[in-house]
Amino acid sequence: MADVFGMKVLLSFALLGAAFVFAGNEEKVQEFFKSGHTNNWAVLVDTSRFWFNYRHVANVLSIYRSVKRLGIPDSHIILMVADDMACNPRNPRPATVFNNAKQHINVYGDDVEVDYRGYEVTVENFIRVLTGRLSPSTPSSKRLLSDERSNVLVYMTGHGGDGFLKFQDAEEVSNVELADAFEQMWQKRRYHEVFFMIDTCQAESMFQKFYSPNILAVASSRVGEDSLSHHVDPALGVYVIDRYTYHALEFLEGVNPGSSKTMGQFLQVCPRHQCISTVSKRTDLFKRDPDKVLLTDFFGSVHNVELLQDTIKLQNVTLDSSSTTCVKDSCKKKAAPKQTLQYAEQFPSPF
Amino acid sequence: MAGEDEKEKFTQTYAALGIGLVCILIGVPLWWKTTEIYRVQLPYADIHRLAETKIQYSVEIEVISFNSKLTKSLPDIAKSLQTSLTREKRSSVQPVYQVRVRDANNKETSLWKKSKTLDDLDEAFWELTKLRHSKYTILFLPESSNLRARPQYVGRFGNVIVTVSKEGITDMLQQLVPTIQEVLVREGAVEKSLDAAQGLRTQKPDKESMRWFRSNPGYDVTFTLVNPQPDVLDVQWNIQAGIEGYLKPFLDKLANFSDISVASQVLHYVGLVASPKKDSSEKFHFYTEQDLPRMINPLEAKLGSHASNNPTLNFVVYVPGKASSPVYIRDQNGERVASNSFLSPRWGGILIYNAEARSKAAGPTTVDIDIKHIMEVFLTQMRLLLNIHVQTPNQQVSFAELGKEAITEWELSGWLRCRCVENLATAKASLQSLAQLLDQIVNIVINDDIGREVEDAVRSIEHSEELLAGGHLHDAFIESRNAIVASEKAFFDQSLLELLYFPEDQKFAIYIPLFLPISIPVLTSIVQAVKWLKQHRREKLKSQ
Repeated sequence: MADVFGMKVLLSFALLGAAFVFAGNEEKVQEFFKSGHTNNWAVLVDTSRFWFNYRHVANVLSIYRSVKRLGIPDSHIILMVADDMACNPRNPRPATVFNNAKQHINVYGDDVEVDYRGYEVTVENFIRVLTGRLSPSTPSSKRLLSDERSNVLVYMTGHGGDGFLKFQDAEEVSNVELADAFEQMWQKRRYHEVFFMIDTCQAESMFQKFYSPNILAVASSRVGEDSLSHHVDPALGVYVIDRYTYHALEFLEGVNPGSSKTMGQFLQVCPRHQCISTVSKRTDLFKRDPDKVLLTDFFGSVHNVELLQDTIKLQNVTLDSSSTTCVKDSCKKKAAPKQTLQYAEQFPSPF
Repeated sequence: MAGEDEKEKFTQTYAALGIGLVCILIGVPLWWKTTEIYRVQLPYADIHRLAETKIQYSVEIEVISFNSKLTKSLPDIAKSLQTSLTREKRSSVQPVYQVRVRDANNKETSLWKKSKTLDDLDEAFWELTKLRHSKYTILFLPESSNLRARPQYVGRFGNVIVTVSKEGITDMLQQLVPTIQEVLVREGAVEKSLDAAQGLRTQKPDKESMRWFRSNPGYDVTFTLVNPQPDVLDVQWNIQAGIEGYLKPFLDKLANFSDISVASQVLHYVGLVASPKKDSSEKFHFYTEQDLPRMINPLEAKLGSHASNNPTLNFVVYVPGKASSPVYIRDQNGERVASNSFLSPRWGGILIYNAEARSKAAGPTTVDIDIKHIMEVFLTQMRLLLNIHVQTPNQQVSFAELGKEAITEWELSGWLRCRCVENLATAKASLQSLAQLLDQIVNIVINDDIGREVEDAVRSIEHSEELLAGGHLHDAFIESRNAIVASEKAFFDQSLLELLYFPEDQKFAIYIPLFLPISIPVLTSIVQAVKWLKQHRREKLKSQ
């Protein structure tokens, strides 16, 4: 009995102490939001075309699906894909793109929104999207309208080499140009943090020249190594997905919008025995510790919220109800034309 | 024979020399001129100088005392007020205060005697002094007056009225200084705007500076009604009239300064993916603060976006379906939030509107949305999101009612001040970064219109800083808006792309195949010709 009483006293004291500590911190906690960003953007680029590069399209569309599932809306995703797979005459299952030989998910779906398709996927357009130097007539769906509180995910896949990435067999972007593009973004504060993911051969070389702050980068292979593809679909005759993206997707499948998985865990995805190439990362430009950064900071879109406690008081205003919405019968009255309409004379009348 | 040989040699020599001379004297300058990159001279020196200068804004404070007992201590009040307001700040924005303290004259005293309430007094003084936005009047009332202003009362027109006794002066001054600095002049908000514009960020995300939208010449506002069960609830809202009646006065007040366009839409059969929890009493459902972020994403996908590039404020009214109605929002203490709404920084706000109890009749029940209530909520959120709102009243300060415009004169001038400073800092940063970029990459073409925009931006910045230092807020803001439009246009011009021009190291690869085949014979023949001429002269000298 005495023991139980003693325990109760001890517990109540501990709780009181904890309450004091929390009360002291509460005021400070309310001053700040949980995360430093207010919106999320994703720029997903597939730099190759032609049937035998099916796997690159499947790569980028799978990342697109994951990012959409975790909450980023289409208006905040810029998808650059040559888009010649779904309606390719060699596609035995038209209007579909699968990332698995067992055809689990049709990553093309019926609500994919491609912003730059076909021959619009050029180095110039890519750099223009990043730096914002587009022609004034570009629609807002093709623009990266990020601000200094946006976290941007940049995913690139295709064929690459030491220091360059090939765009559609016609041109290439070098790592120096890419680094300069990110610096231009930083100068105008067009991002809060960037997560740069690249799945090509010798991918590490593409982020070696970065020098702007707040960039976290991961690549599927080292300089001198090739990134390998995962498996072939015998019905299509081509490889359907790359190893790094396949394992990254496996990880992302287990992530829900409210998940607490960290970027540190994501950076460990696909060890050597699975990927054969070495996954390398760059964390020196990133201020926070990746193990404490939520995955949804980049892949999802978790908004900060503030409850509204007090509202202002407005005085009553008599509303003008005549000029407003009409219901079936009253609409006819309003739509009555002022003059009777008639057809123009088809043949000139002699009278 | 020898003479003819020599003659021929001479012709050859002169021919070679002639060609060489033409090549060098005419050809090289011509090639240089025609391959010169057209670069308009930009005012680099001005840009660098502007980036270094501090932004100054001046504020006039006039204290009018109606208390005859204080007349002797007025100079001391003036001095102490001036010293406590003027502090040297380390940031690049400097407020300059001019304090004047005087007794009321006859006209003002008669106005005071005539006023029945504090609001009347406030309005009467506004009529007297409504010239500039940067002047604030503080009225000291004696304790004998029938108008009591304790705590300090901030009227709709920015006049601070406070009841002062001779003994309580120091206390009152101590309370007055933060009112002037934080409420009227908004020094803290101005500094935060400046920090955000210059790209400096503190490690911790500050709520205020993250919440309000960055300064932009225009905004798009969308009102959305989301009805998940239109077959059960026929929700009617008179949004057009509501906007005309409640929102238009607010927008008209800001019409000169910001281009706000309003649109509305209704979404049917759209629900919230996250379902609310049922309360133990089984009478209602609720969401906690942690559930709310997940509410926004599925809605955002369906809201649609405007065709413009302006930032969008999305305001959503959600009418819960029959099964889960009514739905309340609970804060972390478990208390119901009175307004049943929340906002998301730089996005907008969501209000959950519970329809009244339904009749048992078949068919959809009509629900008429109370436009006044939703406009109150959304106007409050809009004020927060646009950086107009100031602190809520506490023990030291009380505020006058807002009136139908939902924004007071002093809030407007505080907002203009913040935005003006933000615009100036952003424009300066853009120009500085553009100058750096164009300096570094020497082969980017700078067109005439870029040059013109940069010159316009520099001139607007200088003019705006002048006006701001003189206290003319209205004009300073408009100039700063011009500055930011011009500097953004210049920075984001589509011709400023490094890729369009071949880099330095590839220039050789392009010119060598063109010039080498020609220049080698020309040079060697010049060398030959000169050698021959020298030899000939030596022989001539020898033979003489």
